[in-house]
Amino acid sequence: MAILILGLGNDLLSDDRIGLLAARALRALLQGQEGIEIVESAGSGLALLDLMAGYERAIVIDAIQTGQVPPGTILEWRVREPLPVRAPSPHFTGLPELLAVAQALQIPFPEEIHIYAVEVTDPYTLGREITPAVRRALPELMRRIQAQLQAWQVSPEGA
Amino acid sequence: MSRREIVIEPITRLEGHGKIHIFLNEKGDVERAYLQVPELRGFEKFVVGRPAEEMPQITSRICGVCPTAHHMAATKALDDMYQVEPPLAAKKIRELIYCAFMFEDHALHFYFLGGPDFVVGPTAPRAERNILGVLARVGLEIGREVIGVRKQLRDLIARVGGKVIHPVFGLPGGITKALAPADREAFLAGADRAVEFALFSLKLFKGIVLENPQYMEWIRSETYTHRTYYMGLVDERNRVNFYDGWLRVVDPNGREFLRFPARDYLRHIAEHVEPWSYIKFCYLRDVGWKGFTDGPESGVYSVAPLARLNAAEGMATPRAQEAYEQFYATLGGKPVHHTLANHWARLIEMLYAAERMQELARDPEILDPHVRNLPTAIPRAGIGVVEAPRGTLIHHYETDERGLVTRANLIVATQNNAARIAMSVDKAARSVIRGGVVDDGILNLVEMAFRAYDPCNACGTHALPGQMPLLIRIYNPRAELVRELRRD
Repeated sequence: MAILILGLGNDLLSDDRIGLLAARALRALLQGQEGIEIVESAGSGLALLDLMAGYERAIVIDAIQTGQVPPGTILEWRVREPLPVRAPSPHFTGLPELLAVAQALQIPFPEEIHIYAVEVTDPYTLGREITPAVRRALPELMRRIQAQLQAWQVSPEGA
Repeated sequence: MSRREIVIEPITRLEGHGKIHIFLNEKGDVERAYLQVPELRGFEKFVVGRPAEEMPQITSRICGVCPTAHHMAATKALDDMYQVEPPLAAKKIRELIYCAFMFEDHALHFYFLGGPDFVVGPTAPRAERNILGVLARVGLEIGREVIGVRKQLRDLIARVGGKVIHPVFGLPGGITKALAPADREAFLAGADRAVEFALFSLKLFKGIVLENPQYMEWIRSETYTHRTYYMGLVDERNRVNFYDGWLRVVDPNGREFLRFPARDYLRHIAEHVEPWSYIKFCYLRDVGWKGFTDGPESGVYSVAPLARLNAAEGMATPRAQEAYEQFYATLGGKPVHHTLANHWARLIEMLYAAERMQELARDPEILDPHVRNLPTAIPRAGIGVVEAPRGTLIHHYETDERGLVTRANLIVATQNNAARIAMSVDKAARSVIRGGVVDDGILNLVEMAFRAYDPCNACGTHALPGQMPLLIRIYNPRAELVRELRRD
């Protein structure tokens, strides 16, 4: 299996669901596409090691709250090697360590990881409603991820 | 006011997360240290009006850290609500899965979250005080085994119980499916590996910690000691049980103070509110709230591994019992009041969980296909309890006659422990910060005081950082920021 698309978030925590929604939308779009696996998870830390091990490339979609940019802004990081990724999200605080652990233990881990994080308004209140600004980011998020997949030559059109 | 403030943010994430505030007086000594943890907002509102049967799924999604504990407590609350006793095989399968979960969660804490404190050492250079430092110390083979054994157990939980993240097997009166012989074989293999790994971990702990006089001095020091009450689930013979039994409370001298079924929890557990914290501090109603203080006159009690060992009279499996006896022989008899002994207690519980998995998987009755009794009673209220890795977890729901939730109350482990954790942070800060001298090693000694409890601030946030970074802000008496230290 070549590419993992990993949507992260808590399905009960309002804006924190955005990564899961994106994963679901991509699953519908990419149906039948060979070589891509789409996974949703509320996990973090070491659990991500289990989820990501064995893929060549990975796209990770999550919510983030930096307070520095307007809600709905899509932030991107590209990780090619163990680097200190200073993203203030629980899912990513552990990523540099994960990469380092995978390397130390010789666990096969994606060589390229692209992180797409949507700035959110409220990831703390239980609820299924997503705030409008965050929801509006979804089409652009999908566009960017599809472009990336295309760049990796596995476009949804089956190129 | 003439003082300065230091803030330790144990989690880098966002505003509103766990922070330690340390207020210094003019001499630079600690006036008071506070721990703040985030609040889970809107839970009650979210669940009111939903069918009670959805609670095992909803509550297990609150948090990505211990979904299995919430799922199990909720399922047991439904058993109680519908007054239906699950068949023996169902109870055993639930406990089998639960022990696998306890093991993998404890292993994660010992090696990767708490490990940097003891395996690497609290005063080691900070660049080494992380997962990689632990791997360097224990060796890559062991690192691979930690990952490997956890993965095997998590796969087993998923195989029988549905996804680890979102377990789906618990139903009122039983479980969704019986255990297949092949699943049982897989569990036996996993349990054997887990027993070996737990024994190895205890040996490792002995070599690294028990034979290190400096570490033993820290464990025994007054800085990390509180003489409180302890609570934990016990079986009919007062031995530790994670899945079921009676809640037993012992006093600071180790004498039985209470022994009650979970449904009586409101009679014995009360909550105290402080203006500086979202968390409600649990205390023993029969003793009363006397502030953040220990001793038999104070209703402050503790849960989690050390408390469970103290609240019980032994372990139900042979090798864990041996380890239990060694624990008390080494630390001077029962009860042990040293917070840092939680790390050792956690390993003894890992061994128990592994041995208990062996016992349950070997039990011929576990293959009985009858795994559910259908509920017939009209629902009204249900209370369920389990021992989560971090301590006693209680779910309490009330419903209307259609089974729609009208009220829900969760007492989570870290809430049971909140008062004692607050005391631990305050005491450690007072002990190690003198004359305004605050460096990285000193702050780590403060942080260690609460990390020993494995407190989970994740119930609202599914946040589990691989390590606990710090943000320290020091203010002068005019509240101007004079210094900022960061440790990532």
